[in-house]
Amino acid sequence: MPHAVEAQGLERTFKGGVRAVQGVDLAVDDGEIFGFLGPNGAGKSTTVRMLCTLLRPTAGRASVAGLDVVAEAGALRHLIGVALQDAAIDPYMTGRELLRLQATLHGLSRQQGRDRAVELLEQLDLVDAADRRVGTYSGGMRRRLDLALSLVHRPQVLFLDEPTTGLDPLSRVTVWDEVRRLNRELGTTVFLTTQYLEEADQLAARVAIIDDGRIVAEGTPRELKSEIGEPALTIALQDPDHHEAAQAVLERFGRLLPSTARTVAVRLPEGAGALADVIRALDDAGVTVAELDLAEPSLDDVFLAKTGRRMEGEETEPEPTEAAAR
Amino acid sequence: MTVAAPRHASPALALRQTGALAWRSAVTTIRIPQAWFPSLFFPLVLLAIFTGSFGNAPGNIPGFPPVRGFLDFAIAGSVLQGVLIAGTSAGAAFAADIEHGFFDRLVVSPVSRSAILVGRLGASVLQGVFQGMLFLALAVVFGAHVERGFPGVFVLIVFAALLGAAWGSLGVILALRTGSSEAVQGAFPLFFVLLFFSSAFFPRETMTGWYRQIADVNPISYIVEGMRAEVIGHQDLSKTLIGLAIAAGLALLGVSIATLAYWRRLATEGA
Repeated sequence: MPHAVEAQGLERTFKGGVRAVQGVDLAVDDGEIFGFLGPNGAGKSTTVRMLCTLLRPTAGRASVAGLDVVAEAGALRHLIGVALQDAAIDPYMTGRELLRLQATLHGLSRQQGRDRAVELLEQLDLVDAADRRVGTYSGGMRRRLDLALSLVHRPQVLFLDEPTTGLDPLSRVTVWDEVRRLNRELGTTVFLTTQYLEEADQLAARVAIIDDGRIVAEGTPRELKSEIGEPALTIALQDPDHHEAAQAVLERFGRLLPSTARTVAVRLPEGAGALADVIRALDDAGVTVAELDLAEPSLDDVFLAKTGRRMEGEETEPEPTEAAAR
Repeated sequence: MTVAAPRHASPALALRQTGALAWRSAVTTIRIPQAWFPSLFFPLVLLAIFTGSFGNAPGNIPGFPPVRGFLDFAIAGSVLQGVLIAGTSAGAAFAADIEHGFFDRLVVSPVSRSAILVGRLGASVLQGVFQGMLFLALAVVFGAHVERGFPGVFVLIVFAALLGAAWGSLGVILALRTGSSEAVQGAFPLFFVLLFFSSAFFPRETMTGWYRQIADVNPISYIVEGMRAEVIGHQDLSKTLIGLAIAAGLALLGVSIATLAYWRRLATEGA
């Protein structure tokens, strides 16, 4: 079976020389939820736009559902569902009207469009709001409608560009549940971009991390984390005077990490397995432990290890858009 | 697993999609009063001011054609102005679609590529026709009289449709070039200058010097005079035919350039 999404050496250079995507290789399996993770401006949206036939690659090639994104774009559009970042949803139209229009765009008959709209409104819990103008919808409702619109024609591959950016935690979980359900019940392949590490961790079976137009890491979240790092053990001391003694003990188990007056931290190559020994050794040295925290590395740590920068909490430039690149 | 999907929509489907998109353009215009209100309000205010100020001008100022009143004389210019503003808002709406991503939503769907453009232009033609008919109806209520009767009204509607296509295309071209609704709005006052440097509100015969020279070469003059001939009942049809030919020429030119600009954009973007 061909990959649901495949790309080789995919590149896009905008007018003015902005190289938004610089040689991306991807292979997403059929039926997989694939997370495309990176900070703002990393090239996520540009890649998705190329994969869903909206933007012509300047080099390389890509295929989705076995169809070339350039040569077979027309046929491909029947098979993909796309929910783009900030996609316009007419505030002056109702949810039902938009769904029926979308059905017409996809070549469904009037009757099919009517039925499908009813189905999707129910599925995404928008029945009460169906005949209200979208301008009155909350952010979460809009995102659910956007998702519904992308599902009108039961796509094989679903592209979601930052599906939960700007949503409150509850709405975010609702979208996640729906994505999981689609994937589980219909076998829909989902290609989602996100700048939230937690989202990639929660949803995606496999993750690619993109930075500055290049993929810097790829694998399951677990693989990526274990590849870069060992878990870190942080110990809060009952008595700050024990600081030196505690450090001397922990040094025997791994590389020390920066500590504070009341805490000591160490990389534990063996993870939880070494925990009992560490505690026994501390006890023997007469160190009283107030609190103990064993932290697995996060995808943020992976990003840091691969790029030398932290991903979260960093304000970077927005992705180069068409207008900006002109 | 992969379903064989038709590459091109059938003509019947393309037609239905065009209709659906034109309907959507119309609905979103109608539901935004600030989108259509100016195109009704300003030409009517201007018409009322001119008609009040120059009510006695025909017959007293040499150069006016034989006409029952200034309202009859001016109605053609107002219809033209209304269509022009309608074209502006249609262009701005299209630019907003590009800006906000609705255009992407269309392009990423398998909808007929032609339906996107034709639906947009169709909506602008409809708006022109509606505008023209409404202005005529209002003018008639206030005492205007279309000398050529129903055939004359029909010709005026054809004029409005052609102008709707021409100005709608202009809006589409600007929208495709700039992708910014503000840029489209900003460019249109220039075309008002074109309107005022024409015989839209006063006959060319009353103008002098370079102003007259500009009005003489301004195609708007001939279009508006052709429309006016229907209202005031000019003796021969030459003005109507010249006006129609110019309006049709502009519409054809506009639609051709808009189509080229549209396909060029799709080709470079990859859609």
